Amino acid sequence: MNCQWREKVGPYVDGELEPSVQQAVADHLQSCADCSAAAAEQQEIKKAVRVAGKRFSAPPELYASVRKQIHPGGNVWPWWKFSAIAAALIVVAALSFAWFTRARTENAVVAQLIDQHVTMLASANPVDVISSNKHVVKPWFQGKLSFTFNPPELAADSPFTLLGGKLVYTQHYPGAELVYQVRQHKISVFIFQARDVRGEPSATDQTFTVKGWQQGGLQYYVVTDAAREDADRLAAIFKDANQQ
Amino acid sequence: MAATVITRGNVSGLGSKDFERLAVPLLDGLFNFACWLSGDPDEARDLVQETFVKSLKGFSSFREGTNFRAWMFRILRNTFLTSRTGLERRNTQQEDEDGFEESYVSGETPEIALIRRADTELVQAAITQLAPAFQEVILLADLEEMKYQEVAEALDIPIGTVMSRLARARRQIRNHIVAAAGKKKIVGIRS
Repeated sequence: MNCQWREKVGPYVDGELEPSVQQAVADHLQSCADCSAAAAEQQEIKKAVRVAGKRFSAPPELYASVRKQIHPGGNVWPWWKFSAIAAALIVVAALSFAWFTRARTENAVVAQLIDQHVTMLASANPVDVISSNKHVVKPWFQGKLSFTFNPPELAADSPFTLLGGKLVYTQHYPGAELVYQVRQHKISVFIFQARDVRGEPSATDQTFTVKGWQQGGLQYYVVTDAAREDADRLAAIFKDANQQ
Repeated sequence: MAATVITRGNVSGLGSKDFERLAVPLLDGLFNFACWLSGDPDEARDLVQETFVKSLKGFSSFREGTNFRAWMFRILRNTFLTSRTGLERRNTQQEDEDGFEESYVSGETPEIALIRRADTELVQAAITQLAPAFQEVILLADLEEMKYQEVAEALDIPIGTVMSRLARARRQIRNHIVAAAGKKKIVGIRS
């Protein structure tokens, strides 16, 4: 092999030549079978070495050790910090799950109460006990509920009028639904034992207002399609009547 | 990996964070290179750690225009050469670089197909049988994809020596693969 270009084949394959020389060698390879074969061989060897030469990978502990060398004294996080973060993440996840579950439960309660309220509105018999007298309505629940409550005594000039009450079930627990009239709207006041049905959602969507609170071991919800101010006002009356 | 050259603009105020940013990405390649040099992962781990200790100490006096990757590999190689294994290798496996003659076959060759079909173990065996002086050149040039200048800096040898060793290393690998194929009675693929 006496081709004068032969010694440039290696640098050509490695891209080490000046652009003009690189092009000249490329042109030469078109007409020289010897150099062309040598270039092809070197190219294949380069590829083979690139694949086979990558034989060992640094173990993770070597990375940790080197980082410790670079940052002696603590910038490398010890195992207990990772453990603490992992534990914190688990706690956050658990709390998030609990919050999410509780939020879902509360949303489910609110949805059921709204359904109860709408059913009452659409019913031909919206209440089981028809009376504007709280001394008639309250006794009606005796024997039906395991708790008692105190409907407010409404003033003569109160915009609210008691229409009656009915027994309801939410989340499989019994409760009382008292129905009041305010102008052309009706308001349902639901009363449960707090241990059975919990949460204090205060939500207002385009149609209904739901206002909840706990008092004296009982859980109260006011649900209405009337103005929110009406719900707040009736809630305040109930709160005053049940203060101990 | 492209060469990282420390320039005047970023040489001042270099700290451990800069060192970490530049050096840690090289760790895998350094470890692989150390394994090839020493033939022992445990020794390679020690070599890499010592390399990082030395380079971290010298980083504050880093000079502009220095190729960082070549510098790291150079420290690693020098550390290896001064180790017991390195001294043994250096005393027993240096080969004569004179009288290098081209012996590539002419024309379209079945050897090209053999090399293309060679499995990883065969190529690794071919690299292993290289003398350290050739092995380190071909690993830096073909595996680490260093330019000749980088290889020269890393190994502290002239570029001409890089070129001749690289050519010879490739020739030996080629011959090893072809010989192994011959032993397996693999018939040439010349059509």
